[in-house]
Amino acid sequence: MVLKTQDEENKSTLYVPDVARITRIEKLSSTEKVFKIVFDDEEKRNNFSFKPGQFVELTVFGLGEAPFSIVSNPSNRDFFKLCVRDAGNVSGALHRMEEGSKVGIRGPFGNGYFPYQKMKNHNVLLIAGGLGIAPLMSLIKYILHYREEYKRILIIYGAVNPKSILFKYEIQYWNNRGDISICMSVDNPDDKWTGEIGACTKLIPRVNFPAEDTYAVVCGPPIMYKYVIKELEEKKFLPEQIFLSLERRMECGVGKCNHCHIGDKVVCVDGPVFSLWEIENLKEAI
Amino acid sequence: MLYKVMSKGDYKAFVKSLISNYEFIGPKRKDKAVHDFVSIKDISELDTNYTKTTIPPAKKLLFPPTEKLITYEIDNAIKVKPIVESKEIVLFGINAWDINGMNFLDWFFTTDFVDDNYMAKRKKLIVIGMDTDPTETNFALSMGSEYAKDGFDLYLTELKDKYFIRIGTTRGNELLNKYIKVSDAEAEDFKKYDKYMDDYRKKFKLDVAIKSFYDNFEIIYNDEKFWKKVARDCYSCGSCNLVCPTCFCFNVRDDMEINLRDGSKIREWDSCMVPDYGLVAGGHNFRPNKENRLKQRYRCKLKTFVDKFGTYACVGCGRCIETCLAKISIAEDINSVKKEVSV
Repeated sequence: MVLKTQDEENKSTLYVPDVARITRIEKLSSTEKVFKIVFDDEEKRNNFSFKPGQFVELTVFGLGEAPFSIVSNPSNRDFFKLCVRDAGNVSGALHRMEEGSKVGIRGPFGNGYFPYQKMKNHNVLLIAGGLGIAPLMSLIKYILHYREEYKRILIIYGAVNPKSILFKYEIQYWNNRGDISICMSVDNPDDKWTGEIGACTKLIPRVNFPAEDTYAVVCGPPIMYKYVIKELEEKKFLPEQIFLSLERRMECGVGKCNHCHIGDKVVCVDGPVFSLWEIENLKEAI
Repeated sequence: MLYKVMSKGDYKAFVKSLISNYEFIGPKRKDKAVHDFVSIKDISELDTNYTKTTIPPAKKLLFPPTEKLITYEIDNAIKVKPIVESKEIVLFGINAWDINGMNFLDWFFTTDFVDDNYMAKRKKLIVIGMDTDPTETNFALSMGSEYAKDGFDLYLTELKDKYFIRIGTTRGNELLNKYIKVSDAEAEDFKKYDKYMDDYRKKFKLDVAIKSFYDNFEIIYNDEKFWKKVARDCYSCGSCNLVCPTCFCFNVRDDMEINLRDGSKIREWDSCMVPDYGLVAGGHNFRPNKENRLKQRYRCKLKTFVDKFGTYACVGCGRCIETCLAKISIAEDINSVKKEVSV
């Protein structure tokens, strides 16, 4: 046991954000922006590290706090990036902020349970719907960083229309690399669209990875999971090979406020990434 | 555990010393039916013969309805200051099921991540327990919480001619020895105490079929008709959560002063029964209807923490039954689940 002094004793750590600065803002689409964030405190900056799939709680001072997944490469240690859709109070306020603005950061939270270790020497199938690409970004960047340790990699990415496709630069870069395949589909194509049309789940039957040698990772809107899982099971994927990142109202990030609990699991601590095996019998999870 | 006895005459002297030396919170009659745990300045205000309290005493002190977690100042730089408040308080006359409710909160707030705001207060809370008579909606006996094994510093049981004292902590032992003379409990005292507890347990009339709930709940879970019936009258008001000694859900909101410079983060009780409980940005609600939310509440109370800690998150105090405007009874519903499943 570590003995604490009276001064340390009165220090709470769970709900106290560290002050950080937005150093760059990139606009991805009409509703999404990527924020590059750097901690003010040097010690915090040096000690901050995260695993693919983890998220942080971001405070807009005076307004409130909300969870956002980290989209940058875990190997970058002096900054991290968040992809934010203008959807609520906090994210809306964040979208109105300028470079140089201060925010509060708590975290990283979540188990970061994307099995990037287990996946080594296996094929990796990543399926993202809409903003679901964001929580997968840090995993994709991690895998590409250690590319030679993985077999074939395929990203299936579905969006509403060509304009709402996120991370276009990254996608172009992946295409140029040649060692990662990406297959995109949109619901509402425009005149220039030459890719697939319709729900991205339709592309799954065409995947020719042998199921026993492949891990699948899925992230998207709640409605998408049921259909994707059905397709993957048809391809003979075992529940242990399918990983999902769940969305819930994660307010505290430390399993106390309880808004995100499903049965005996708390998404912010036990998740947000679960294997299908873990949650198959967990009612209301999917 | 240490067992001592104290003469009836010493009881008053002991309480008086506590009142004059500590901030003393105890039960005081509020109106005909209800008592409230408030600050007591004189022993005449204290009335430990209560049956009904609305807000659970320990939760009110340790996890207050609103609590400032941090303050900050927005200037060129933003200065963030954590707030952890605590002071030494004697909580006198809390009964066994409320102590067990507090024990659950202790467990919850220290698992995985330690909540300093809760624990700072808990460490300085001196808990002195006493038995009280159950109300007609109380089913603590079925839930196994009519008796407190730990969580208190002292537990006083009033026998015919003396007080039987269970001492739970060194702090409790010192407190006792500081103000009065006590003697070791003899075999005779234990016999009387045992008889007392037997009689005390007979006072609990309401019985629930909790033993079979864990499994039966799984089969009733998808029975939409059943849950429609159970939740039909629910107003989604959240009263049940507010009076529950184990409910811990909270929101944290940011508050700004009118100068737009000083702000704070305030934690306030939330309720899993209100419609926006599972609402996320973008408008998706993970718990959209009241059947779903009530079912979720029952699962949280009666099953989730059996899996996690091996204990129920319900102590059977019956406050939610009494307070519910729609007369929804968790006791009745546990029994209905049993009735529905059994042949």
